[in-house]
Amino acid sequence: MADTIPLGQPLQARLSERTSARVESVPWPIWCMIAGITSSLIGGHWDISWHMSIGRDTFWTPAHIMIQMNGVLVGIACAYMILTTTFGGDAASQSVSVKIWGFRGPLGAFIATWGCIAMLTSAPFDNWWHNAYGLDVKIVSPPHMLLSLGSFAIKVGAMALMAGLMSRAGEAARRKLTWLFIFVGADCVVQLGTILTDATWPVNLHTARCYLSVAIAIPPVLIGAAWGLGRRWACTLVAGTYSIILLAFEWILPLIPAQPKLGPVYQNITHLVPLHFPLLLIVPAVFLDLLWNKTEQWGRWRLAVVSGPVFVLSFLAVQWPFANFLMLPAARNWFFGMAYFAYFDPARFLYDPYKFQVVENTPGIFWKTMAAALVVSIMTARLGLAWGDWMRRMRR
Amino acid sequence: MRMFRSHARMIAVLVTMLAAALSLSAHVGSPDVYYEGDAGPYHLFVTVRVPQVIPGVAEIQIRCATKDVRAIQIVPMRLTGAGSHYPPTPDLARQSKEDPQFFTGSLWLMEWGPLKVRVWVDGAKGKGELSVPVPAAAQRTFKMERPLGGLLAFLMVFLAIGMIFIAGAAVREGNLGPGETPAPGRVRRARVVMALTAVVVVGILYLGRTWWSSEASNYQRRVNLFKPPSAETKLENGKRLVIWPKSQYPEWSNYVKMEEVIPDHGHLMHLFLIGAPGLDRMWHLHPERIAGGAFAEELPSMPAGQYQIFADIVDKDGFPWTLVGIVDMAQINGKPLAGDDSAWSGATVAAQTGDSAVSQLADGGRMVWRRSTDPLRANVPMNFKFSVDDKDGNPPKDMEPYMGMAGHAEFVSTDMSVFAHVHPAGSVSMAALELARTVPAGASGELQAGIPMAMPMSMSNAPLPPEVSFPYGFPHPGDYRIFVQIKRAGVVETGVFDARVQ
Repeated sequence: MADTIPLGQPLQARLSERTSARVESVPWPIWCMIAGITSSLIGGHWDISWHMSIGRDTFWTPAHIMIQMNGVLVGIACAYMILTTTFGGDAASQSVSVKIWGFRGPLGAFIATWGCIAMLTSAPFDNWWHNAYGLDVKIVSPPHMLLSLGSFAIKVGAMALMAGLMSRAGEAARRKLTWLFIFVGADCVVQLGTILTDATWPVNLHTARCYLSVAIAIPPVLIGAAWGLGRRWACTLVAGTYSIILLAFEWILPLIPAQPKLGPVYQNITHLVPLHFPLLLIVPAVFLDLLWNKTEQWGRWRLAVVSGPVFVLSFLAVQWPFANFLMLPAARNWFFGMAYFAYFDPARFLYDPYKFQVVENTPGIFWKTMAAALVVSIMTARLGLAWGDWMRRMRR
Repeated sequence: MRMFRSHARMIAVLVTMLAAALSLSAHVGSPDVYYEGDAGPYHLFVTVRVPQVIPGVAEIQIRCATKDVRAIQIVPMRLTGAGSHYPPTPDLARQSKEDPQFFTGSLWLMEWGPLKVRVWVDGAKGKGELSVPVPAAAQRTFKMERPLGGLLAFLMVFLAIGMIFIAGAAVREGNLGPGETPAPGRVRRARVVMALTAVVVVGILYLGRTWWSSEASNYQRRVNLFKPPSAETKLENGKRLVIWPKSQYPEWSNYVKMEEVIPDHGHLMHLFLIGAPGLDRMWHLHPERIAGGAFAEELPSMPAGQYQIFADIVDKDGFPWTLVGIVDMAQINGKPLAGDDSAWSGATVAAQTGDSAVSQLADGGRMVWRRSTDPLRANVPMNFKFSVDDKDGNPPKDMEPYMGMAGHAEFVSTDMSVFAHVHPAGSVSMAALELARTVPAGASGELQAGIPMAMPMSMSNAPLPPEVSFPYGFPHPGDYRIFVQIKRAGVVETGVFDARVQ
């Protein structure tokens, strides 16, 4: 069914269906949602840096407030859209809405509302988790993943909402929505990349597990966002925005003075510590765009079978040698950020932070894991294409 | 969201913590730390309420003996090695408005193992500093309260059903043009998608539950790892007791090696054999280390019976452990007590009626517990003061240090769930205190042993006053027996007191 949608055509086709629900400017709820998503993006990375540099926090740290603002702003925007559509009596709005439990509104608003409730649920869950198993010690815990799932659902909802608006938007509005869509798509990649922080830490970049993890998590969001946008060089734009966002964090956060407020302290910290240099996803993104420019008429499975391995192999081809460079003294500067350590990081005392870790103990395990990455990438690329097609068809 | 970046690093940190720590304090069922000492010119009584879970927030209470303290800063650090070099930004303890000599604060203890709380004091006499060893280990994990569990269950069901209906709406109406109504085929397809989504949601919930259970199990394992190991024993030749630790977790013995335990006020092990269940006999012995990770002691003469074992050791990084066990022994015809070994026998706890404040000593003298008439309460820091009279009722002039200190006290609950070996400096291990008082030489991490920072210990052999005090607090209500041991003219005397704690 979806296998024959040509690149770019659905949006053009949908333009002919403009009705009284035609969109001439970006509605304020979208800006409100973008503000919330941006707030969460900044707050999330600030919070990670806070925990690496300062340590101690409360519910009311500025970083936490920025994360929570996501739920507030998106909640306000979605509540407005759903309640005015349900009770406002505006036939034009109702004609482009879906119905759930008696409420009417854009599908994206319902998805984002679900995300807000998931974020809300994670708060008491996380608080109990601290009481039961100790204060925050790692990113990947069940309550944090619920929070992350909620945050991700908000982005998915926002992208679905924008896709629906783009289907009936005028040229000026569609251009703005396109850039907002790219930004949110890039934020999805940032979020998934952050969850992979452990597997993709520089010392792990020569493990097959790293590339398997990337093959699992990145193609669905990178390919999904780019394919959903349905324009040339979309993948490059999304990956480029991802890189710019992470580079901005890496270069700006260290400018802010900070001192540890928790012990034991293993590193002398004088400023906020950022995460490391972004993954070189821009390279596989360029290759995917080049591929897609010549394969518009391919079926989706055929496209996935090629796109997945192209993604993994081109990423491997640049990230592996780049990892060698990251281990060198030349990378220990503000640009590449390889001289930053968290206050709790026992590097220099217990292990060499510039020596690759060995996870796969035998060549057999290494190559099997790499092969698994290739196979998995086909499935995740197909998933991304399916999500992209879903957004291309989105009208409500 | 504090991060551990790689499994290798996590393992390295865990290895370090365990290698550095692996032990509960030299106590059983008494996790809080009580310490009395001098920070330069200021005499302080410091209480550290160790949190129930690690990482967690410890509550610090500091009482100053004088009114000339203006400000106190507190900070947690590792006891030794890497992590004891750079203190984080210290916290300013809050001074009580009603009682200006009382300060309180909260400190985040982020790691398991041997930590210390460094205390900086500023006042009219200048600045002072001391360090209090804190063995950080979680005590338990918490069950979820029913109201919170109900709320989270409701939200979980709401989110699960919501996801199913959103998926249905997406298929049914998501890509319909403006004003179009869904065809029957689309409605049917939406129902199929809802059913598939329900299966996915159930799968996600199942995986989430499995993950949660795994996390809880790992944490519980760690909690158990820090619980007192059992004391395994065997009797050789009818009178030589061999004792060694055994943990249910094999990794315990990888990190706590008996070959590496350090002396604590002169001995590698302080072994207490207490008559069970009446607490009517007590031996304080000092087995020597033997090959094979064990300790051995030629026992003195002992009557047949069942004995509760508490055996204190301190690992190489200053984390104290207490081995706990029970041994049934036949009549022992052993050697006379020698060296620092001591013994007591007397009335059973059951024969006592509530609290007691006077104890007859074996030499005809007596020991008096200088306590108020107020009821004893749990979790209240107190200074337990005892005075000694000779057989003529006069203060003796022949008091000597016993193993370098004015006295030793063992607080034991009658159900044997609490055991604390306390000294005039408090409940901290003396070996850990020595490590806390050393300062790192520099970034290399080597320690300069024995450099006093603030608080000299009373380790001299000069005549001692006929009074001894112990800072401590009972951990929970119940009946306790307190064994107080002092030394007079080369002979160890033991006073015994019973206490009912509310």
